[in-house]
Amino acid sequence: MRENLYLSDLWVYVRLIRDGYHPAGYNMALDEALLILNKEPVLRTYSWDPSAVSIGYFQSIEQEVDLDAAKSMGVDVVRRITGGGAVFHDREGEVTYSIVLPSNHWAVKGRALQSYRVLCGGIVEALRILGIDAEFAGVNDVLVNGKKISGSAQTRKKWGVLQHGTLLYDLKPDLMFSLLRVPNEKIRDKMIKNIHERVTSLKHLGVEAGRKYVESALIEGFSRVLREKMEPSTPTEEEKDLAERLMREKYGSDSWNFRR
Amino acid sequence: MAQIAGISEGRSDYKVRGGKMIRVHVWHRDGKIEKVIFAGDFFMHPEESIEDLENVLVGAELEESEEIINEFFRAVELIGAGPEDFYRALRIAVLGKKS
Repeated sequence: MRENLYLSDLWVYVRLIRDGYHPAGYNMALDEALLILNKEPVLRTYSWDPSAVSIGYFQSIEQEVDLDAAKSMGVDVVRRITGGGAVFHDREGEVTYSIVLPSNHWAVKGRALQSYRVLCGGIVEALRILGIDAEFAGVNDVLVNGKKISGSAQTRKKWGVLQHGTLLYDLKPDLMFSLLRVPNEKIRDKMIKNIHERVTSLKHLGVEAGRKYVESALIEGFSRVLREKMEPSTPTEEEKDLAERLMREKYGSDSWNFRR
Repeated sequence: MAQIAGISEGRSDYKVRGGKMIRVHVWHRDGKIEKVIFAGDFFMHPEESIEDLENVLVGAELEESEEIINEFFRAVELIGAGPEDFYRALRIAVLGKKS
């Protein structure tokens, strides 16, 4: 039985791709390519250049994003393959991670709800390394003092699970709310003013850690919760080719981004 | 609610307890659903099955749709909302009010 070859005890490492800055279409395309092509654990860390808005699989792009504002600010907009809400990915404000695990890996066995708790534990652990006491909350969030500092989303295929998410090290509410649509214009100012009651970042918590340090903490955090070593790697030619194709044909297309 | 050639169109933005949003856009005629689109920031596994839900509701009356939705979510994992929220959001979109 081929399936027996994938017992989690056999994995001695997680392939680690420290991937730097990329446009939104490429970021989403490589995440999907890694999910499609891998039967072994992969952790990827990356950021967004230019800054971007990603919307959830089920969202309507026009209802969630001010597309004119995005265009005039040079901000990318892309639909994810994962559910959840619209996220502003500030080039200077977050480290993003994606993790791919085979379906029979202990961390993602069972239903999505349980595996969020396990994998978001990697972010809680990363924050502990940075000296911050954080907790998993709700379905897929990590909170510090009751305020959100990280959100994640996952998709599940027969052979594997992809979870990606953010860790905020800075927060720019003005910029964020000029890109994301709000339920009604009258409350926009109030939402900008109140956001610091709901969302926080490392900088706002007084941790002046650079991106590289936050990225390293994130990697160490995941290594601890998965109880596996990280093996530095880069995307293979096959992964890069598939990502290029997905970027061209899917994430760069209106038929995908405007489908809802 | 707009009305063109016997087809009524309705929308709802339904806030789920806990904060998620379900947005419905529905077209119906003679009490039957012609087309429906569900959007929002919920999670559903597998994601593609949202289109199956939209398809099985075509031709259904509002009263029937509750059972269709409940039946559908027995096989599909829904996170951040419940089947009853999908039904309520659809109901508001069709009837044009909270009731």
